Amino acid sequence: MALWKRLGVAGFALVLAAPLFAQTSAAVSSAQTSAAVSSAVPSGTPLGQPLAQRSPTKTYASVCAYCHGHNVGPIILGRHLAGDTIRTMVREGRNGMPAFRPSEISPAELDALAVWISKAPGNPMEHGE
Amino acid sequence: MSGPTIDRRGLLGAGVATAAALGISGVAMGEGAVLAPGVRKADLAAALQAFRGVVGDEWVAGNAGSLKPWSKSYTPDPSGRHAPVGAVCPDSVEQVQAILKIANQYRQPLWPVSTGKNMGYGSTTTAAPGQVVLDLKRMNRILSVDVELCTALVEPGVTYQQLRDYLDEHNIPLWIDVPTVGPIVGPVGNTLDRGVGYTPYGDHFMVQCGMEVVLADGEILKTGMGSTKNPSAWQAFKWGYGPYLDGIFTQSNFGVVTKMGLWLMPAPPVYKPLVVRHKKVEDVARIVDAMRPLRIANIVPNVVLMMGAAYQLAMFHRRGEVYAGAGPVPEAAFAEFAAQHDLGMWNTYIALYGTSAQVAESERIVRAAFAAIDGEVMTEDQMQGNPWFHHHATLMRGGLSLEEVGLARWKGSGGGLAWFAPVAPAKGSETQGQIDLAHQILAKYGFDYTAAFAIGMRELHHIIALLYDKSDPEEEKRADACYRELVTGFGDRGWASYRTGVHAMDLVAAQYGETNRAVNAAIKQALDPNHILAPGKSGIA
Repeated sequence: MALWKRLGVAGFALVLAAPLFAQTSAAVSSAQTSAAVSSAVPSGTPLGQPLAQRSPTKTYASVCAYCHGHNVGPIILGRHLAGDTIRTMVREGRNGMPAFRPSEISPAELDALAVWISKAPGNPMEHGE
Repeated sequence: MSGPTIDRRGLLGAGVATAAALGISGVAMGEGAVLAPGVRKADLAAALQAFRGVVGDEWVAGNAGSLKPWSKSYTPDPSGRHAPVGAVCPDSVEQVQAILKIANQYRQPLWPVSTGKNMGYGSTTTAAPGQVVLDLKRMNRILSVDVELCTALVEPGVTYQQLRDYLDEHNIPLWIDVPTVGPIVGPVGNTLDRGVGYTPYGDHFMVQCGMEVVLADGEILKTGMGSTKNPSAWQAFKWGYGPYLDGIFTQSNFGVVTKMGLWLMPAPPVYKPLVVRHKKVEDVARIVDAMRPLRIANIVPNVVLMMGAAYQLAMFHRRGEVYAGAGPVPEAAFAEFAAQHDLGMWNTYIALYGTSAQVAESERIVRAAFAAIDGEVMTEDQMQGNPWFHHHATLMRGGLSLEEVGLARWKGSGGGLAWFAPVAPAKGSETQGQIDLAHQILAKYGFDYTAAFAIGMRELHHIIALLYDKSDPEEEKRADACYRELVTGFGDRGWASYRTGVHAMDLVAAQYGETNRAVNAAIKQALDPNHILAPGKSGIA
């Protein structure tokens, strides 16, 4: 399966073991953390099927967490923001924040996300404003 | 060649002129909507109603409130001519065909988007007034992944995040290649706009293979090998037989791409990101001349970003932290802040991929090339804790990041961003003149030079982020005028843009000549005689 393995290249085990990062000498960066967090929450959608409704943790990790708590957007976990505020911000964006359409974050996903964010405790791994 | 008998290009602006004469609000939505030329209010209403019959009420938007998510844009739009008048979200090819039939019936133009997050180029706003967004984001099936050929076939709504997740969940050791806003955009939209990423597969159209296109009359075209009796080579062989057609469906409005194949890079055994730092802006020509042979010989195999200090700082800092004065930030202020943050005035990010021996030999050659021009080659170990290095090290392995969204905060909270991207050959002699011209035009309008160069196989993209405060109407007007002068000023010197936002498509198209425009117009007339697909896209009415 692995092309490098077929080529008989030493070190292919690293390819199989860590496809996302390959062999790097550095510690995992903050950007890598977001990607890793997102991938750690499986979407479980099989080939040929539309993306299944995502859990709030998956939606947050796949979209929100790349900016919020990551130096780009303000931290929103642990602030007990009102659900309506969250829904409006997601749909309209504000200032530098993009707007997310119902085709991107479905109405059902947004409802669940708003509840989840409003109740979520702060995450000490997040940083920024 | 015969063309349309009416001046459709001229009509693209007619809606705005009429609206202004009638005193209709510049915000083109809902009751005050500026309609497309020749479309009556009753036509739009009937089309939207018919769309509801295809996709369901909840997947059609047609009033100011419900259209807000499709109307957000970072690009300048001081006269409000780019907001859509509706949106429809199909989830299948059959629904796309039904929508096109309705659009033809009512002559209602549609503006197809894939993921709609082309930030700094227009997002889901439209090139001309009165269009309904054909939002393909719900078509998000990953149709196939071939782990032996290292290929995938995806629909327009598939994001890079979704593809990355699929590969990880199935332990498939393939990399993706992402633009700078990877998590929320996808391969189809980025490739169709001829966008780039930063691994060896960074030229996305180069690694695209096979398309399914719904034509304006509802017919389905499969390019390359896709229409043969055994289309098993659809994602393996790009060219098929006869004229190569895929190109005419990129940066165009000739059809709706509903499936696209792409090649994926096998994860290499060793990945080594590096940055080459130079302390002086005037080193730019020497860097490009040193990099060109490395790129052509494929010793440096990835799309190289040569990042100016100002662009780098704008990602993670606000303007007020660097300079408190009025007018453009002086170069000395950028230099001082950059030095404090372990950045050069140019920071050139490259990566090496392969076996240990391959990487070691390439690194030896790279170090020698840059030692000769006073470049400081730094490794990941040496750049520990430097957020800019980690950002680029992430991109050069196809990792996901949205850190560049931070650019939109540079001028305050307004969130204004327009990419200006002229192209030149990758020669040092092409650089300093561009930088001087950019400084001159940007300073005239009071904006900062926040820019990078991307070095491809033979070409040099100058990527200038025009950052402004969109919440200030006067500044938005100034940004619009500045962008137009950048396009014309650079174009006059032979540096035409490879890509632009919805606000300047006609302006850029004009720089490619009348014959080019006439050919595009003839193809358009042949494939979409009612001009229902994205009139104004790339200057094609």
